[in-house]
Amino acid sequence: MSTTVPLSPSGASFRWLYVPGAEPGEPSRELIGGKAWSLWRMRSLGLRVPPAFVVTTRACAAYFTGGRVLPDGLDRELAWGIRLLEGELGRVFGNGDRPLLISVRSGAAISMPGMMDTLLNLGINDEVEGRLAAETGDPVFAAEVHRRFCASYGRLVLGCTAELDELGSVQEVRAAVREETGEEIPADPWEQLHAAVAAVFSSSRSRRAMAYRRHYGIPDDLGTAVTVQAMVFGNLDDHSGTGVLFSRDPLTGEHRPYGEYLPRGQGEEVVSGRVTPEPLEYLAEREPAVYAELLDAAERLDAAGRDAQDIEFTVQSGVLYLLQSRAAKRTPRAAVRIAVALVDEGRITPEEAVRRVNADQVRALLHPQIRPEDAERAEVLATGIPACPGLATGVVVTTPEEAQRTPGAILVRRATSPDDVHGMIAAAAVVTEQGGATSHAAVVSRALNTPCVVGCGDGTIAALAGRTVTVDATAGRVYAGEVAASVPGEDTDPDLIRLTEWAARLAPVRVIAPTDPGEPPEFDADQAALEELGEGLPPIPPGTRTVRGALFSSDEGVRAALDAGVTVIAAAHRLPVLLTAIAHAGGRS
Amino acid sequence: MDDPYLLTLHALTLRQPATAEQINGITGLPAAEIETALDKAVGQKEALAARGAYLITPAGRQRLDGAYPVVYAALRADPRATAAMDRFEAGVNKQVLTLITEWQTVEVDGRRMPNDHSDPDYDAAIIDRLGTAHERAADVLAPITAADGVADRFIERLGAALVRAEGGEIEYVSGARVDSFHTVWFQMHEHLLRMFGRERPE
Repeated sequence: MSTTVPLSPSGASFRWLYVPGAEPGEPSRELIGGKAWSLWRMRSLGLRVPPAFVVTTRACAAYFTGGRVLPDGLDRELAWGIRLLEGELGRVFGNGDRPLLISVRSGAAISMPGMMDTLLNLGINDEVEGRLAAETGDPVFAAEVHRRFCASYGRLVLGCTAELDELGSVQEVRAAVREETGEEIPADPWEQLHAAVAAVFSSSRSRRAMAYRRHYGIPDDLGTAVTVQAMVFGNLDDHSGTGVLFSRDPLTGEHRPYGEYLPRGQGEEVVSGRVTPEPLEYLAEREPAVYAELLDAAERLDAAGRDAQDIEFTVQSGVLYLLQSRAAKRTPRAAVRIAVALVDEGRITPEEAVRRVNADQVRALLHPQIRPEDAERAEVLATGIPACPGLATGVVVTTPEEAQRTPGAILVRRATSPDDVHGMIAAAAVVTEQGGATSHAAVVSRALNTPCVVGCGDGTIAALAGRTVTVDATAGRVYAGEVAASVPGEDTDPDLIRLTEWAARLAPVRVIAPTDPGEPPEFDADQAALEELGEGLPPIPPGTRTVRGALFSSDEGVRAALDAGVTVIAAAHRLPVLLTAIAHAGGRS
Repeated sequence: MDDPYLLTLHALTLRQPATAEQINGITGLPAAEIETALDKAVGQKEALAARGAYLITPAGRQRLDGAYPVVYAALRADPRATAAMDRFEAGVNKQVLTLITEWQTVEVDGRRMPNDHSDPDYDAAIIDRLGTAHERAADVLAPITAADGVADRFIERLGAALVRAEGGEIEYVSGARVDSFHTVWFQMHEHLLRMFGRERPE
């Protein structure tokens, strides 16, 4: 048994809690979980995050050994933990004119499926809703916070399966929860907190979490920690707001701050649609000190993360809080620019840079494009929703069987279903009359990386059948005949040239142009492909040194060639093949 | 659908070309019964054989279209089953299609572009929500899966795809060449549509 230490509001030593920043040294991920570790990391960079504490995995283990009961003394420690948050923010949990609301989330050292989602706005009830309405001057917001809390609590803690999130009011949610479970959503914030902590612990042994661990041989008793964090509000007053900041431009990759700010906005968790985002300059003009602090934080996070960051923040009454920072999503163009720039800035090595860019991103940059002047002259036969970008010219067929028999055909269907998939695999592009961005045709085409335009409207099949057309799936247009396209070169873009140099040095194969001589014996898939029915790759004869054919430019083709011991691949574009080969070799070793 | 012949033909509308093994994956029929059914189908020109895999012919489709209203008469008349189907199509089916689109494309500054899978948290959150959707589908479809073994198998196969996706084999989310969550989901949806004689909503 571990010894009980005297509790103190400073949080020096708790038995079941960890308070980020209260103890020196790096905390163990096993004890506090990955999410809380990230909070600690932000704090250790000198950045301000909403105050938080962690109920450790030790408490989770005790919860299960005790027969699914919160361990002795945890209720007192939770009360102390909440006092710490109250003290730091000058708010009171479940009471007072300035109520404290909290979020409760799971966090294990190894992420596992099936664990409980984040529960937001815990601590609200009818009375607190009234106080929050008075403080923010926004009763609609307060009611929405309460409604969302009840729906999440019903789903996550009480296990409702009904569509609670779609109900319009707290009363309706309560009634639905009562009907399905026979239980009430507690009004006492402490009862809410205890039940939420127990629900997070229990979720670490949910059916899905257990199935996952059995499959991957992870010990069954691996528990979870619980992070309890204060909610901050971006809609308190004119000096409040919420926003997103990218440390580098996610469209171009340029190293300059980029983002938007919603004055008096409360972030994505409560999307009211009642506020219009402003560019970051708005914040720079009105709150220069906050803006400067934000830019400094972005640079520190960019440097510490050694990558472009996407940072969520809230300003509450003129005080900046950082909510989350993670590697930013980016366009293919930005991915290439950022990888090369990080090498130039000395943040990463060329070896790392070639692993930060994948083959699909480079392929997207090398997609053939129709020049605007050519597009203007061409006759448009159909327009629809671009579902998977790319360009293809071919003869229109209207059944999957014809698509299989006709290499390079354009498959046009009213809509597609699972029994069209073999035709879609064979087709150079797919066009449909019906459907949107989530239709079967759109989803399967993206999985196949086949250019696809959906929703072109009734009569498209009749208008196109049998004709030769050019599908520009980036613009969502189908043109009559063959429209000339220009192919951007990988040997004219300075960033691509440098990535290619680095990749050629690191790849386990040599990549040559289709016209270059390879090393014998050679195997050419384009000679063999016609007898093949479409799915899968033709077998590579043992001892082959060089492979050719478009199939070996695909990720599957490159992997198959490497696995067969091939040393030379002929491909129209070198860099995508090199990057796939590097990723595959790295994954194997 | 208890008749092994019809069930084998029906499987070819859910996946084609399909091998006997793939038909077994969908239907759970014993291999010998599938072989017999396929030989008969080819003999009656209701299916075509192509390099070990099979395709259904227009004649085969015609036979099925005649059989569905008879075979599934009881199910189509059961208000609990039709209500379950309505709930499935209006609710969790739409959620899954949206989730798969979010899996394949991400929004960068208002533009949708291919997901490069560089953000494991983003991917994990979607897989997690697919897990919730899988459980929801099992609940919603319970009145149908209780009466139809093939529908029940789909719920199991979705679970198998999910476990592989959760373990990092991300092609098992929406890959078109493997029995991914999305591939199996669409097969299941097609199966349900045919059982109930309904059209695909989109």
